[in-house]
Amino acid sequence: MSHFSTVKTELRDRDALLGALRDLGHEPDSSERPVRGYRGQTVLAELCVAQTGGGDIGFRWNATSNSYELVTDLDLWKQPVPVERFLAQVTQRYALRSILAASVAEGFQVTEQTQAVDGTIELVVSRWDA
Amino acid sequence: MAQHTIRFRIRPDGTVEELVQGFRGEGCQQLTERIESSLGSVQQRTSTAEAFLSQAQTTSAALPVEQRSA
Repeated sequence: MSHFSTVKTELRDRDALLGALRDLGHEPDSSERPVRGYRGQTVLAELCVAQTGGGDIGFRWNATSNSYELVTDLDLWKQPVPVERFLAQVTQRYALRSILAASVAEGFQVTEQTQAVDGTIELVVSRWDA
Repeated sequence: MAQHTIRFRIRPDGTVEELVQGFRGEGCQQLTERIESSLGSVQQRTSTAEAFLSQAQTTSAALPVEQRSA
């Protein structure tokens, strides 16, 4: 029986999130530390991408939604893309890493990985069973 | 021997579309639940191949529009 699912990706797994940030060229600090914002105000986050001169990008665990959420001071945002796009990029890489890890753990092999013109990543994994 | 294939489309916004092919009965659910649970909440699940066909038609219909804007 085949099925088709649509999944709204949530940032749940720490390793996949760290990997996604590294894929995008960042060097996340995986220990809990204060995220610096405007005029030295800080907020604690479990993951942090430090920025020179402040305006750090943090990811804080939300126990209610059971996922990480981005925390940053938007007044100090210095990334080349808007924050919504940044989060979308992180989420896409996160989804790719999660799927690859889960597939390998279930004994699947990647048979195809391509990127479409619109930025969509197409991934095909397969496994032979008796 | 039977080949089981899962196709993923990871959209630029992080949304994942997943098509599972060649699983029968319970095994289908078990295997994909692990992947789905590591990702997030399943918004939609349809158990027929026809569902993907209609999805593919929607996608290909939308393609010329994207190409024009590119």
